[in-house]
Amino acid sequence: MLNDLLIAFQAVATFENFLIMAAGIWGGVIIGAIPGMTGTMAVTLALPFTFYMQPIPSILLLVALYKGSTYGGSVSAILIKTPGTASAACTTLDGYPLARQGKAGKALNMALYSSCTGDFISNLSLIFIAAPLALLALRIGPPEYFMLMVFALTTVAGVSGRSLLLGLVSACLGLLLATVGEDMYGSFRFDLTVDMQSGLAVAPVLIGLFAIPELLKIVVFRNTEAQKPMQLGDNKVTRAELRRSLKSMLKGSMIGVVMGAIPGIGPSAAAFSSYGEAQRSSKNRENFGKGEVEGIAASESANNGCCGSTMIPLLALGVPGDVITGVMLGAFMIHGMTPGPMLFENNLNEVYMLFIGMLFSSVLLFGAGKATMRFFSHISRIPPGLMAPIVLVLCLFGIFSISNSMYDVIVLLAMGVFGFFMFLFAIPAAPFLIAFILGPMLEENLRRALAISRGDPSILVSSPITWLFASLAVFVVVITIRQQLKKAKA
Amino acid sequence: MGMTRGLLITALFGIVLFILIPVYVPRPSFIPGFAPPPDMWPRTVSIIGMVLGLLLLGLSLSRKTQAIADPEDAGAIRGDTPLPILLMRFGWAVLAFALFIGAVMLLGFLLASMLLLVVMLILTGYWQRRWVSLMVAIVLPLVLYLFFSSALNTRFPTGSLLRALGV
Repeated sequence: MLNDLLIAFQAVATFENFLIMAAGIWGGVIIGAIPGMTGTMAVTLALPFTFYMQPIPSILLLVALYKGSTYGGSVSAILIKTPGTASAACTTLDGYPLARQGKAGKALNMALYSSCTGDFISNLSLIFIAAPLALLALRIGPPEYFMLMVFALTTVAGVSGRSLLLGLVSACLGLLLATVGEDMYGSFRFDLTVDMQSGLAVAPVLIGLFAIPELLKIVVFRNTEAQKPMQLGDNKVTRAELRRSLKSMLKGSMIGVVMGAIPGIGPSAAAFSSYGEAQRSSKNRENFGKGEVEGIAASESANNGCCGSTMIPLLALGVPGDVITGVMLGAFMIHGMTPGPMLFENNLNEVYMLFIGMLFSSVLLFGAGKATMRFFSHISRIPPGLMAPIVLVLCLFGIFSISNSMYDVIVLLAMGVFGFFMFLFAIPAAPFLIAFILGPMLEENLRRALAISRGDPSILVSSPITWLFASLAVFVVVITIRQQLKKAKA
Repeated sequence: MGMTRGLLITALFGIVLFILIPVYVPRPSFIPGFAPPPDMWPRTVSIIGMVLGLLLLGLSLSRKTQAIADPEDAGAIRGDTPLPILLMRFGWAVLAFALFIGAVMLLGFLLASMLLLVVMLILTGYWQRRWVSLMVAIVLPLVLYLFFSSALNTRFPTGSLLRALGV
């Protein structure tokens, strides 16, 4: 294997390949940083260009775009509280407060270090443990999926606010909103208008929930601070902060690797679960949500930790885990390669070249992040009174461009008003978002499991994996209730 | 705030459970095999939501348990500004959003965005720096319009008024 990897290294290490990967990473970072433009959009737009390229450079371009956009999403999340991608929503919890304290550079640096660490570990896992992880992913059926998502939701509800009850209310609201539109058997639900039959897209809900309430807060409360430019002071991550965050970074990377390898779970759930775990085990748990670098480390390492491992089910089983890997599956097939067990038989050289290229792209991601950081951190100097309306217009154009429909724009604005009410009632937004993203899959797997068991709910606790996730969920609830009771007594 | 919030949450999920689901989530006359009906999941979530709302309400009735249900002080969020003024500002912002949606049909996406940006800059108080605000309100939507229409081929609505004028 090592010999094959060395040969692949020589084949990949060409100027042309580096140029393609660098362009992909840069393009991805910029696209990911623009609210409303997603990694999926970047990869889909680039797909036609790959028709004229060699197979491996074309896949590397798509992978680079994916990685760049995943990191880029955190830039706007930190600077303007508008996550460029759904997986970066968790980064806003601590990134934005840090930027408001004049430490945008520190937050961006920590996001970059964690993203690169998660990405590198994810690539290594793809190389060395793809087969066992793919086998684990295969053993996960509807009941296991359901329990895994219940666990992810409970973790998020417990950690992203001061009250578990309010977190659960927020999750219920998100689950309910996710039922709008057509269900898995073709029935329409809550279709108050014709447009609503297609349901609500993630992008307008995500951006509306995080970006618009910031504008409304400035308009309604008229904080005089909003007219002043933010300071740009502390930019460096200290050794102590890095050492303190290392555990969360490594744990987050592993959570990302495992959750990324399971088709459909994705980086958003991984980021929130990792954040929850970091908060639970951190000595600085009180500081989470107020500008804690460890929180950024946990979420960013987990969402980038998914980048490599989402390729595991694709390469090993031929099963795309999300839309992006679905597009990549198309790219593989265009170039005459069929992902799945036979890929390792027929195209082993190409597979190793891809592995090496992905490792290189982690290094390039670091370079691109460092190069753009100085420019990006200056954005945080724009006074919020000017920035918030600018972000609104950016969101309007970005969201309209996704579907060419005013319906999504209306959803964006309505969600903004809804998000503002949630803020007024101290209901955390994070559980709402993650429930909205996982909701359709949660319901689908519950209904599938019940259909398989002929309506017997005991199927949900019928295997060791379901028991494991159910026990973890109960553990999280008990720990959270204990902590909150302690706090209430104090 | 705890009691109001508990009441509102209970009422919201109650409306969904007793009014919206019976009307907007119809059960098909035939359901294949043992597949659960489409209203099973929204009903389950609404019931859980209502129970949580009632729990919040119950906890906020006693001083001992209030801190669990109501961890944040509403006064700290609102500050000293009187409520009618806050409501008026909020009303203006929502009105601006509604007018923007109407204006897109009439004036097109570009002009409506410019107008919305001007209104928002006035509402945030940044309009004191008039020239900067005006520049931003004109240049930013124009740049975004050109970028999205050329790079992504987005076809923004032109507006019936401008179409009638032949623009």
